[in-house]
Amino acid sequence: MKVAIIGGGVIGLSTAYFLAREGADVTVFEQKYLLYGASGRNSGGITAMHDNEAMIELAKRSIELYEVLPSEVDFNFLFRQDGYIKVAATGDDFEALKEEVRLQNSLGVKSRIIDAYEVKDFIPDFNEESIIGGAYEPSGGVIFPWPVIWGLAKGCRELGVEIRDNTEVKEILVENGRVEGVVAGDETFRAEYVVNAAGAWSNRISSMAGVELDNKIIKEEICVTESLKPYLNQYLLDITTGVYLSQSMRGEIVGGILGSEADNLSTSSTLDFVFRYSRRAIELIPKLKGLALLRQWAGVYDEGKDGLPVVGETKIDGFIQANGFGKAGMSVGPAVGEELAKLILKGKSEKLAVFNPERF
Amino acid sequence: MSRLGEHPIVDFDRGREVTIYFNGKPIKAYEGETVAAALYAAGIRVFSRSFRFHRPRGFFCAIGKCSACMMEVDGIPNVRICKVYVRDGMELRTQNSLPNAENDIYSMFDSMIDRFFPHGSHYKKFTKPKFVRELVTAQMRKFTGMGEFPKAELNEKGEYEEIETDIAIVGGGPAGLSAAIYAGRTGAKVILMDENPYLGGQLIKQTHRFFGSGRHMAGTRGIRIGEILQKELYELPNIDIRTETKVFGIYDGVVAAVEKDTKLLKIKPKKIIIATGAYERTLIFENNDLPGVYGAGGVQTLMNVYGIKPGERGLIVGSGNVGLILTYQLMQAGVEVAAIVEAMPRVGGYFVHAAKVRRLGVPIYTKHTIKRAIGKKKVEGAEIARLDENWCVVEGSEKRIDCDFICVAVGLSPAHELLYHAGVEMRFIPELGGFVPTRNRYGETTKPGIYVAGDVAGIEEATAAMMEGRIAGLDAAIKLGYGDEETVRLRDEIVEDLDEFRKGPFGERIVAGLKKIVVEG
Repeated sequence: MKVAIIGGGVIGLSTAYFLAREGADVTVFEQKYLLYGASGRNSGGITAMHDNEAMIELAKRSIELYEVLPSEVDFNFLFRQDGYIKVAATGDDFEALKEEVRLQNSLGVKSRIIDAYEVKDFIPDFNEESIIGGAYEPSGGVIFPWPVIWGLAKGCRELGVEIRDNTEVKEILVENGRVEGVVAGDETFRAEYVVNAAGAWSNRISSMAGVELDNKIIKEEICVTESLKPYLNQYLLDITTGVYLSQSMRGEIVGGILGSEADNLSTSSTLDFVFRYSRRAIELIPKLKGLALLRQWAGVYDEGKDGLPVVGETKIDGFIQANGFGKAGMSVGPAVGEELAKLILKGKSEKLAVFNPERF
Repeated sequence: MSRLGEHPIVDFDRGREVTIYFNGKPIKAYEGETVAAALYAAGIRVFSRSFRFHRPRGFFCAIGKCSACMMEVDGIPNVRICKVYVRDGMELRTQNSLPNAENDIYSMFDSMIDRFFPHGSHYKKFTKPKFVRELVTAQMRKFTGMGEFPKAELNEKGEYEEIETDIAIVGGGPAGLSAAIYAGRTGAKVILMDENPYLGGQLIKQTHRFFGSGRHMAGTRGIRIGEILQKELYELPNIDIRTETKVFGIYDGVVAAVEKDTKLLKIKPKKIIIATGAYERTLIFENNDLPGVYGAGGVQTLMNVYGIKPGERGLIVGSGNVGLILTYQLMQAGVEVAAIVEAMPRVGGYFVHAAKVRRLGVPIYTKHTIKRAIGKKKVEGAEIARLDENWCVVEGSEKRIDCDFICVAVGLSPAHELLYHAGVEMRFIPELGGFVPTRNRYGETTKPGIYVAGDVAGIEEATAAMMEGRIAGLDAAIKLGYGDEETVRLRDEIVEDLDEFRKGPFGERIVAGLKKIVVEG
């Protein structure tokens, strides 16, 4: 079976990997270079603390896969399972956290509600007055997104997948309501299935197949400080302001603010972000004040109109959506790939059913 | 004692004596000197260790552009000590080393790490099984990072200021100062920012006399020119002068800066003039990172600004004007110069400078290069060698030079980061020293309202930088409606004057470079 995957991010490469492992003939088309999109620009927060049952299941499975895939592809993703902390600065947000933790617990995720002083146990310089309460999940943590992509690409290539970078898909061939392949570069590639895993560019790709897709475009900004000895083990997200931070393997404090809707695909950085991020980060951990920011960048990703991903076959037979993952792409990517391979090869995936593109 | 007493040109006015603590050890210093200068004067050569190989790092650029001098200062990590002034009781600690940078046991990594962990192998080695991978990852993490997380919370309260102005000028060197003065004289409201605590840029270390005609302040020493410009500047009430102010970005025409490390400035100007100058280039040779290998500018700063001898005997690499001038500045300060090495078949700088150096008896080795620096923790010598027609080392021509420091004076590269951030069109013009912006004859770039002047527009001399600054300052003011016909005439006169100045034999290269990058409009 021939499959063309559009997008060399974590979704596209995971899907390619699991398809190839079952013997499919897969080609991945990446418009720029691996890591150009959101998979190369995110902060690597991994957690099963989601507020939707299907997302929790995928994230749980992805954490398991992040534990086994590095051995399979012989590449260290630098995944540190030191825990993921969400904090809330308003009573309403704290209530929402409590509710999602109940749902997570019912599905076997070992998250728990913690108070401000328990956050201080994890991060000694944390300012307990900056929040009302939080939640902690031990199996989550920080991954370095680059080796995830490099490692998956390595695994894919070893299974015979062809990854064509700097190859923009210009046309999707459709005949009698069935996808026939893609035109990319100057060549035509025949394929029985075409997977749209183009992230923020998915709306455009979808329209090439004549399938309407109206995902929101989200722009998110991140910055890093100078490099420090190990200090911060957990990944910290303040759900009230969207400010998050963690420490990379190189020692930088990597932090950002959850993205907001944009009307274009610009990845320019803003001064306003630096102001807002620094202000809140210093409230959370006052000693961060003594650090210098070294650089900042931005990325774009997409999110389904109702806040959930768009995954599954469309009205065009063989044209599969795998996009709209919002901020959760890295957390659910590997399991999505595994399920999509099932959907394509066996025609069915229960875990992906709620993300059906036809739901709108 | 490496502090200079008498100097034929500069009077070193040292401040009050204070004590600073280096890894707990008290060290005498004087107010007004940087920590880096004080430690250097006390004979300390190893300031830090490199990130991966733990190689010794010492005094290098002296102007906050490299990271070789980063230390923990009063509990705050990764502070560039060449930019921090001594305070009585200051606590300094070396980082990323055990027990300290001088005697770092991890320096054994230098000879081992590439054998066991070649670059990039941390992704590929010990990847399975899971427990081995996790163990190795946890261990690897311990070796990353430079400083420790801040031990203290900065006391200073952060401040914020929004400024609306006509013209924002980045850089207070000869170009920026000139731009500010000429724009300011038309009545335009100007903010002038420089990251250093002083104005004048590199003029403050130029103890030599300038060339050219009287109109270009020829015969005047660089340090004196800086003083004259500042005097003119301070006479103008409409110029807001901000020193110790680092501009870190230009976001959609908004200039973002940090003043004295505590105040954030958001400046909304109608025009921006970028006059950020240049960086020193370095040269690739074995051990070129050893403490004691310096840029020429770093040595000038140490000697001419702080009155500290860089060493006893130096080797100069490069015989351009900077290398030649530095040679006799060193000799003025009582430092011996072992030799000058020049890869080209003849001396690069002006004849007058070369003649002066030759009279002083310094050998100049043309068609020679430096092969390696010798030493463990600091320079103890250098090996030079002859070059053949293909710029390759002639086997057997190696010669050892005894010296305790090496100055690399091989030119400058424009400090163009802000231009890239602002989205200006840039092109590589070798005659001008690297990537420079496309601009018109008044210095306005492809982003309307953003001007360049001085070395950032192309490596030239302070005299040309001053003229470019005046032109940019005047043009920006004129476009904003300041000045009159006389102002326009003055601008055009300086444009002509600058063309005239470049007509000499040394201007040929510059003129050829400018032809490729200056556009009509």
